[in-house]
Amino acid sequence: MAYTLTVGAVSRQLQPVQVSATKSLLLIELLGDTELTNAVADAMVALVPPGCDLIFTVATSAIPLAHALSERTGLPYLVARKRRRTYMDHPLIQEVESMTLGVGETLWLDGRHVERVRGKKAVLLTDVVVSGSTLAAMARLVERAGGVVVGRLAAFARTGATDLGDISAVATLPKS
Amino acid sequence: MKSYRVQIGSLWRDLPVVEVAPGTSVALFNMLGDTEATEQAAALLASKIPPTVQVLVTPEVKALPLAHAISRISGLPYIVIRKTQKPYMVHPVVREVISITTGKPQLLVLDGLDVPKIQSHRVAIVDDVVSSGGTLTSLSEIIGSVGGDVVAVLAVFTEGAERPEILSLGHLPLFH
Repeated sequence: MAYTLTVGAVSRQLQPVQVSATKSLLLIELLGDTELTNAVADAMVALVPPGCDLIFTVATSAIPLAHALSERTGLPYLVARKRRRTYMDHPLIQEVESMTLGVGETLWLDGRHVERVRGKKAVLLTDVVVSGSTLAAMARLVERAGGVVVGRLAAFARTGATDLGDISAVATLPKS
Repeated sequence: MKSYRVQIGSLWRDLPVVEVAPGTSVALFNMLGDTEATEQAAALLASKIPPTVQVLVTPEVKALPLAHAISRISGLPYIVIRKTQKPYMVHPVVREVISITTGKPQLLVLDGLDVPKIQSHRVAIVDDVVSSGGTLTSLSEIIGSVGGDVVAVLAVFTEGAERPEILSLGHLPLFH
């Protein structure tokens, strides 16, 4: 069933898509949606913990949101990648223990970025949180780089999929 | 470490010069996380967009914040060409390109849901750096194959060969 998502003054009709034989998910995409990205960023500013030094996100779909949040808060952002890039220098490598996909994923943080995390307070940023496993891997990366995680932000959380714990989300989505 | 100085609007950045193949180095330009440079580049590039352009098309990953910012400033929507096929895509259009930075074949994938937004539309391609032009050629092929008309290419920098037909803010040499 379609679902109407409203963030600030922006509404979107989300359609369910079949992702496996037994499972369908509401399709939500920030990439290419400048208006929705900006509405989410506007709503997210109040969720950023005070005293935080940087935004830490992961490729790909949350990147424009990270930029928009950075623009609004003045905080710099860093991006962990999902593939090794040739230019990376002594990258930190972190496995994601994924419960939803059943296949492992790996996060890569360029050594040049590791230095920018050391001693800093980071807020983690993702677009859709399902199991929280990506956020857990991101937290581990920040800690291994010598930083401290002071908050976890998601644009959207799929309800029922996880105990959100300390994750702050702008909006929740029904399971399907 | 060797570096190369570039200007973006009123900003100066020292880019690390890194070897990407034996005997060949590039000035590494990675705007991800550099909100200030992204915003300045976006403002300058937005002012160069031909007035007939209806939609922006960008490849993931590094140019995403730039595309978002140009979209916000110009009011033009942007569409992302992905590097992997996603399970939720409908009738995706796929091309393979050999990347100069990785030396490996790289997929470019347009979600079928985005085809109507390109078909019969005048398109400006947005990228951070246009180097050998391999990605650009494949992007143009994908856009052309679904009935879009590429009328402009916007890039922060061209690299290697001079490319006067590309609307850019500067040029990066290759280092041998």
